[in-house]
Amino acid sequence: MKSLFLIFLMCVFVLSEISIAGDIKGKVKAKGVKNAANAVIYIAKIKGKTFTAPKEAELMDQKNMSFVPHVLPVLAGTRVNFLNADDVLHNVFSPDDCVDKFNLGSWPKGQEKSYVFKNPCEVTLLCNVHPEMSAYVLVLETPYFAVTDKEGNYSIKNVPPGKYTLKIWHEKLKGKEVSVTVPEKGEVTENFEIKR
Amino acid sequence: MNFLISTQRNLLFIFLLVFTFIFLAADQLSAIPAFARKYNTSCSTCHYAYPKLNAFGKAFKNNGYRYPAGQDAEMTKEEPVSLGSEGYKKVWPDAIWPSDIPGTVPVSMHAIGRVFAAGGFDDPTTTATEEDKIVSFEIPHELELLFGGTIGENLSFFGELEWEHIEEFAYEFALQYDFSPGFHLKLGSVGPQATPEHHKLTAEHYNVVDLKTQSGKFRLRNGAGGGIEFWGAGNGIGGSGGFTYAIGIGNGQNDADNFDINKEKDIFGRVTYKFGGLGEIGGTEGQTNNTSAFYEDNSFRIGGFFQKGTALATNLNDEFSVFGGDIDIWYNRLNVVALVMNMSSDYKGYDRKSLAYFVEANYVLYPWVIALARYEFTDIDTDIANPTVSSLIPGVVFMVRANVKASLEFKIPLDDASKNANKEKITLQFNFSI
Repeated sequence: MKSLFLIFLMCVFVLSEISIAGDIKGKVKAKGVKNAANAVIYIAKIKGKTFTAPKEAELMDQKNMSFVPHVLPVLAGTRVNFLNADDVLHNVFSPDDCVDKFNLGSWPKGQEKSYVFKNPCEVTLLCNVHPEMSAYVLVLETPYFAVTDKEGNYSIKNVPPGKYTLKIWHEKLKGKEVSVTVPEKGEVTENFEIKR
Repeated sequence: MNFLISTQRNLLFIFLLVFTFIFLAADQLSAIPAFARKYNTSCSTCHYAYPKLNAFGKAFKNNGYRYPAGQDAEMTKEEPVSLGSEGYKKVWPDAIWPSDIPGTVPVSMHAIGRVFAAGGFDDPTTTATEEDKIVSFEIPHELELLFGGTIGENLSFFGELEWEHIEEFAYEFALQYDFSPGFHLKLGSVGPQATPEHHKLTAEHYNVVDLKTQSGKFRLRNGAGGGIEFWGAGNGIGGSGGFTYAIGIGNGQNDADNFDINKEKDIFGRVTYKFGGLGEIGGTEGQTNNTSAFYEDNSFRIGGFFQKGTALATNLNDEFSVFGGDIDIWYNRLNVVALVMNMSSDYKGYDRKSLAYFVEANYVLYPWVIALARYEFTDIDTDIANPTVSSLIPGVVFMVRANVKASLEFKIPLDDASKNANKEKITLQFNFSI
């Protein structure tokens, strides 16, 4: 009887969590680039609130001489596994101080090496064997983020109701941050324009 | 009448141009910006500093100008043009075997300019013979059109057109059938590639490839002219290092119509074995490193080569043979290459024996700055006590961009005769390739 009550309470809690959350969606217009893909829209640090990094690692692939995905937003503390999917030697290193300029070396096809991104910052990833390859890991302080598709569409789901600062990041372009109020139910639309 | 004389002069000029080419074979090249466009990748994927190949560049070449391990199709970013769908393989011999060609014209341009200060300048405004130092802007020195690529799954090609100064025009190409990385059949411009893939980074040619036979009609960088070559490569145990081989036959010296100038053919061969480092045909098996860089490949390679042939001058045969060996050591940022060569030249009843060697060290200070030093020694005739020629060539190479290079070198003569002849030379060379 006691366990049934506990399950009931958990269900109520879960349902309430699901129902009391809204979505942020919108479209990004990018000027000066081929398309609006790979912009990151994210909620900036929320005062007094911290989040635990997911136990599951994210994956960054090196396939057909490209980092896939090109842009990977993660919550601080997230482990990222780097897979070499090519039968060509690749390398992963970063020139950024916030990740101690790490260099993972190179490894055979099908194998992975990993790195934990602890500090919030923008991390540039490069391959010192193939200079044309690059990627970005955007280490954030909240788990509420999304990456735009080629048309510039994005959607951040299940955001608790409240007032937040919504920011946008792009490797080449800049946009203004906005203040957004997420309703208890439904969605709010915020469009961005980014340019050089 | 004047017109006829003028036409005859022009024809003679053209004849001389082509004839000059026969004796001034171009440097061998291995990779070009056309490949960078095809694969959407940087020059440094294949080059230590162009034209010198890195380990991956050699593996790419050894795969018939293809990505290793059968990945070429997926690595090709520039969509090829189909010359027949895959299904036509089932129709053959009642149809042409299907193939494809590069999506854009696989041509690149390479320009070289030089500024040098050297001796041997005879002032034309005075009657006296003077050999002073002069600073000269030799710009342009050379212009090349390079082309290379693949035709379908098994054919590949490479060639160039080269204009050097006003009187030198050269062209060469080869088409090869790539059965597998271990066996290629090349038809076209062939030769033993005595300094394998280690094309010079600066202006000064290696002494061994510039050493001429007695008639002056052969030197190693001429190669074996038009001919046929079987060659191949394979990885060593555990996927690293490995072997390369080449054996071939060519006209050697050609006439102005690219016919053999004599009935004798040149034969040549080459074999190498590499210990450690990237496999000769690439792949990633066993290639875990804590650090890596496009200019590093910790390995040791040893090789041997020969060429035997007959050159013709003033109706007399110059029977020559060369054989030699080289080592190629890569340790982190340091690369040391050494080559020793013996040459025999039997001409006008005298069999001259020559010895030449060089040792060169290259060190990557930054990925775009390479310091180098070379020691060269040549004994033109080992049977007589003639003065030998030796020199030291320190230099520095700047990769201004991946496709723009500047180099500064100082040739310091070490033997008395060269010193007395004022043979020291400072050369600034710049190249760009697009």
